[in-house]
Amino acid sequence: MTIWWLILILAFILAAGCAFIYVVLKLNKSSGLHTATLAESLQKSAEEDVDHIFNEEFREELRNRGRLHFEKILGENAMFLQQDLRLTTSQLNDYMKQEITKELKEAFANYESAIGDAKQLAVESIEKTKQAIDDQRQAMGMQLEREIAEEKVRRIKRFDAGMAEIINHYVLESIGNQIDLNDQLEYILAELEANKKAIIQDVVNGA
Amino acid sequence: MERSKNSKNEPSELALPTLVFGTVEVHRLQRELEALEEFMQQAALRSKQQAKAQPELPRVSRLLDALASENQRNLLQAQDRKDLAAFLQRVADQAPTIHMSFATDPSAAFTAKIVSWLRANIHPLVMLQLGLQPSIAAGCIVRTPNRQFDLSLRHRFEAKREVLMNALDGQPLKGAKQ
Repeated sequence: MTIWWLILILAFILAAGCAFIYVVLKLNKSSGLHTATLAESLQKSAEEDVDHIFNEEFREELRNRGRLHFEKILGENAMFLQQDLRLTTSQLNDYMKQEITKELKEAFANYESAIGDAKQLAVESIEKTKQAIDDQRQAMGMQLEREIAEEKVRRIKRFDAGMAEIINHYVLESIGNQIDLNDQLEYILAELEANKKAIIQDVVNGA
Repeated sequence: MERSKNSKNEPSELALPTLVFGTVEVHRLQRELEALEEFMQQAALRSKQQAKAQPELPRVSRLLDALASENQRNLLQAQDRKDLAAFLQRVADQAPTIHMSFATDPSAAFTAKIVSWLRANIHPLVMLQLGLQPSIAAGCIVRTPNRQFDLSLRHRFEAKREVLMNALDGQPLKGAKQ
């Protein structure tokens, strides 16, 4: 701040000096050479009065004025700058809000679209999986039914084939201990009688 | 024991008692008869030396006693013993063997009845070999030298399987009362 003030005051003094010299030169040109002596005397008196007019107090006064003016300008500029800054900040906030809102909306829209696509894909995948499971279940059900039917037929055949053995086992387990050989004598003799011819033939031939 | 010679059977007409139904019994009888023959010879020698009468018959087994009594033979007579020995040898050499399996061990009476039937209807000298086969439940399985006759209840069930299947299917049985 001090350097600026100093530069300003020097510039002001320089400008005032230049103006004075210019006035003096103008006066010299108009008066001609015949007034050379007067001019010289005026020049001499002016140079002497410069020190009287631009004394320390006047310079200090000029400095104060310059300082006040500079401060005023600075204050006004600062105020304007502050206002501009506030306005810019406000506009920037609005702009940022709008941009952020826009970006967020776009991002949300993109997200929503992506989520929708993913959801669609997931639904399609689930549907496909469900369809595949249904098909598999149906195929397995048919296969199971077919195998059950085959097993049923197989077991029935085996049961039919082994029926005599099953009944015999059942009889043996149920009343096996209660069947007396003496009670079977009549049956055994009847069976022997029925096969008598074959037995005789084999015994005779075998013997 | 002593019987008249007129009532005696010819050696070829001798018969086996039902108690003797297997080759084991035949061999046992042969051994016993040989022992008896030796005893009788020794007894005859001793009686000659001591000038005694005919020696007494030693105690014999139930089988040998049955064999002699059923064939009207006197075991004190050397010729009768010789006939019986020859008969037993013929039985051991020539008698056919029939194997019969039952579900349980048959009693002696049951075996005797079976043996009687076999000797009356199949062959007079037939030998019986007994076996045990619990799985047949009832009846028996007869094995002759070349064949097998399944007379068991199991075989009968198999033979009548159609009847059994019809009964299980709910069809009326032939000859069954409605």
